[in-house]
Amino acid sequence: MDDLNPLAGTAHLLEEVDKKLMVLLRDGRTLIGYLRSVDQFANLVLQRTIERIHVGNEYGDIPRGVFIIRGENVVLLGEIDREKEQKLPLKEVSVDEILDAQRREQEQRQEKHRLVSKALKERGLAVDANIINEDFC
Amino acid sequence: MLPLSLLKTAQSHPMLVELKNGETYNGHLVSCDSWMNINLRDVICTSKDGDRFWRMPECYIRGSTIKYLRIPDEVIDMVKEDAQAKSRNRTEMNKNRGGNSSQNQRGGRPGGGNRNNVGNRPGQGYGGPANNAMRLGGAGGQGNRLPHAAKNRK
Repeated sequence: MDDLNPLAGTAHLLEEVDKKLMVLLRDGRTLIGYLRSVDQFANLVLQRTIERIHVGNEYGDIPRGVFIIRGENVVLLGEIDREKEQKLPLKEVSVDEILDAQRREQEQRQEKHRLVSKALKERGLAVDANIINEDFC
Repeated sequence: MLPLSLLKTAQSHPMLVELKNGETYNGHLVSCDSWMNINLRDVICTSKDGDRFWRMPECYIRGSTIKYLRIPDEVIDMVKEDAQAKSRNRTEMNKNRGGNSSQNQRGGRPGGGNRNNVGNRPGQGYGGPANNAMRLGGAGGQGNRLPHAAKNRK
């Protein structure tokens, strides 16, 4: 039966249509929205999407609207459990606060990275910064 | 409605396109194809950090470099209305077909069905342009909101 289905590889995704999903992108971003459509490449349409930023045990939501996501950028997606969503062990903070926290976290990470590179360099180990760059280009 | 059909529906609407390398392009969609290659006009390109901007009258983006596209909310509503109009049309068609079938021979049915289909199109068209005009007006407002998105990264 799967052979007849033009969506064979992504067929099971059809069951997720119209559910509230969390989508993790390859760049590390988390989107939460209602899945409205999928195709054979696992391209997704998300409606009423928010971008959720997590820092420590705080999170902030930024409303983003409708997304057409190119399938190859998706790491994973999963249904949001409505009951568990009510009792998250995390604290919601405002967008400005979470963006601030995110910026601080990023700066800390860069600082740490700088120290590690320096230490390695002193020991004669040249590290190409691009290899351990966490950002995908 | 497949994602690429939705993209086609969004033609002439403002949208934000983010590439895999983090650059974003804000502009109006001119055309797209089944590889997600797109043409935009009146484009503002924003660097990955969101601190540099370039304006260009038009640009072409290869589909494989795209991470995602953000389109105005109302484009999805347009799709829903289209689908509703189509299903309404279909039920009307079926009614007509039911009426005809008492007079027509069974063999004549497929042809009769097609003729009905063509006959109904103008009716559907009347609803279309008015709706589109309304939607386009709304889309302009959304366009003003979209460019902010890039700033929020980092």
